[in-house]
Amino acid sequence: MGNKEKGKQSRRKFLQNIGVAGVGAISAPAILFTACSSSSDKKTKVLTPDNKLIEIDSENGLAIDTTDKSYLNKIGREGIPGKKFVMVIDLGKCRNERKCMKACQSEHQLKPEQHHLNVLEMENPSSGQTYFMPKLCQHCDNPPCVTVCPVDATFKRQDGIVLVDNERCIGCRFCIAACPYSARTFNWTEPRDSEEYKDITYNMELNVPQKKGTVTKCAFSADRIREGKLPYCNSACPNGVYYFGDANEDLVTNGTTKETVRLSKLLKQNSAYTLMPELGTQPSVYYLPARENS
Amino acid sequence: MNKKFYILFTLVCLSFSLIAQESWEVIAEENDNLSIIMFDEELELSGQIIYDNSCKSCHGNPEKADFSKMLPEPGDIASESFQNQTDGSLHYKIRIGRGAMPKFEDALDSEEVWNLVAYIRSFNKNYIQKKPNLEGIVIPKFSLALSFDENIDKLVVKTIGDDNNPMSEVELKAYIKGSFGNYLLGKTLTNEMGIGYFNVDAKMPGDAEGKLEVIVKARKGYGSAKTMQKMIMVQPSTFESAIKGRHLWSTAKQAPIWLKVTFFFTIISIWLMILYVVFGLKKLKKYS
Ligand code: SF4
Ligand code: SF4
Repeated sequence: MGNKEKGKQSRRKFLQNIGVAGVGAISAPAILFTACSSSSDKKTKVLTPDNKLIEIDSENGLAIDTTDKSYLNKIGREGIPGKKFVMVIDLGKCRNERKCMKACQSEHQLKPEQHHLNVLEMENPSSGQTYFMPKLCQHCDNPPCVTVCPVDATFKRQDGIVLVDNERCIGCRFCIAACPYSARTFNWTEPRDSEEYKDITYNMELNVPQKKGTVTKCAFSADRIREGKLPYCNSACPNGVYYFGDANEDLVTNGTTKETVRLSKLLKQNSAYTLMPELGTQPSVYYLPARENS
Repeated sequence: MNKKFYILFTLVCLSFSLIAQESWEVIAEENDNLSIIMFDEELELSGQIIYDNSCKSCHGNPEKADFSKMLPEPGDIASESFQNQTDGSLHYKIRIGRGAMPKFEDALDSEEVWNLVAYIRSFNKNYIQKKPNLEGIVIPKFSLALSFDENIDKLVVKTIGDDNNPMSEVELKAYIKGSFGNYLLGKTLTNEMGIGYFNVDAKMPGDAEGKLEVIVKARKGYGSAKTMQKMIMVQPSTFESAIKGRHLWSTAKQAPIWLKVTFFFTIISIWLMILYVVFGLKKLKKYS
């Protein structure tokens, strides 16, 4: 009897402890958080527009101009209203010159083995003929990478561009697994020339400076587009492979010849296709097939 | 016999291709063509911008000889083979193109090509610019008036000379302005009434009012004119944001209010339940 009583009591105690521990575990961070914020009541550390960390009175803090950074991040997330950017790649013209890749890597602070854009050698299974295919992020209209990102670090903008915010990215690499086009790469090590880049304000549209432990991928040169210029890869190609433009205008411009053509006509006349359309990702990158014997 | 023939044939072909690579004939008139504006730093600078955008990918950095490895070689613009050519020849070749060298006539206007020539010449210290002999040559002056005839879907361009009379035989080029370049509607010469017509595809998407931005460039002899205008020419279009509506990948911002309410209600209820159980357990201890 006594034993039974004891057992009952200890079980009760156990349950009680669990409850207290549970509440404790959850409220502790909250208490800690409030404690932290209250302890910095008088002084706050802020980053000035020229990237200096300074301490200021938090009351005056509101008057400090920190716009530069927030401005970059805000426009990076919002995109350009009324536009829908698309790229057309003419496989018949690609000669594997790899200038696009080099331009991309130098602008995006990538190491030679990291690719936002990679030129692959492909083989036509029926004729055995080989051709070169530049492959980059397809800026899907139904992007699986965005679906799986748990922290809203990778997102789609109103102008169709899919970007990564490496200040939010936690490096879980779900997006890498989700992307059917293997368009993403990971910064496993310190990025190239990280010392040189360390004082630069993060620009989401360029995704520079790169950060170790975060994901990076093609940004459709969102920073260049904002200035009305064609993407880095497009301008670097000597063979006229790339067309880029706004589908809402139905116009695309060739990166080499700067010739502007109607998008709908270009796609129709050359029987354009997209990669793995059966997945329903709805890419924004179109390919014009390599022509036989070209 | 057969073998000999093949060898001969190959040799002939080879020599032809070599000739084709080496000489690029420019008609005399074009060869002697000269800019009527003196090259200065301003022109060189605008030439440099065009060069960086359109030429650098093949011709590389001037004076570095780091041009693309292509056949025929694109060459360095600072090199002798470039500098030994006349201004007119450079102007012609940039405009017309050949083989891998694109034709820039439709992408750049004549002035812009002259700016490029000015930039190319800035790498030649010995260069002295030749000026055209303009004595006795009248430079035509005219202005342009644009309108749109919606019955025939045509852009109507009227050239009016200094004397208020229409000017015929003026070369016209019309473009639609795009985000990254201008779309060529067509080229034509004005008729006796000083009018040129351009077809406009009614299916082209315009802005919310059906407007398109038109650029018309005109040239006659040494005279030129340019105008830009936003005109209602097509059906108005509306553009949807690429993230409009709800998707599997939508963020909390796009979630409807009922979902948010249900979500927070559920979370809060679960918490209340837990707290209820915990306090219940505490009370139990007191009574035991
Ligand atoms: S190609 Fe891959 S990374 Fe790019 S939007 Fe589609 S799923 Fe995302
Ligand atoms: S690695 Fe970064 S961007 Fe990719 S899913 Fe994880 S948090 Fe999102």
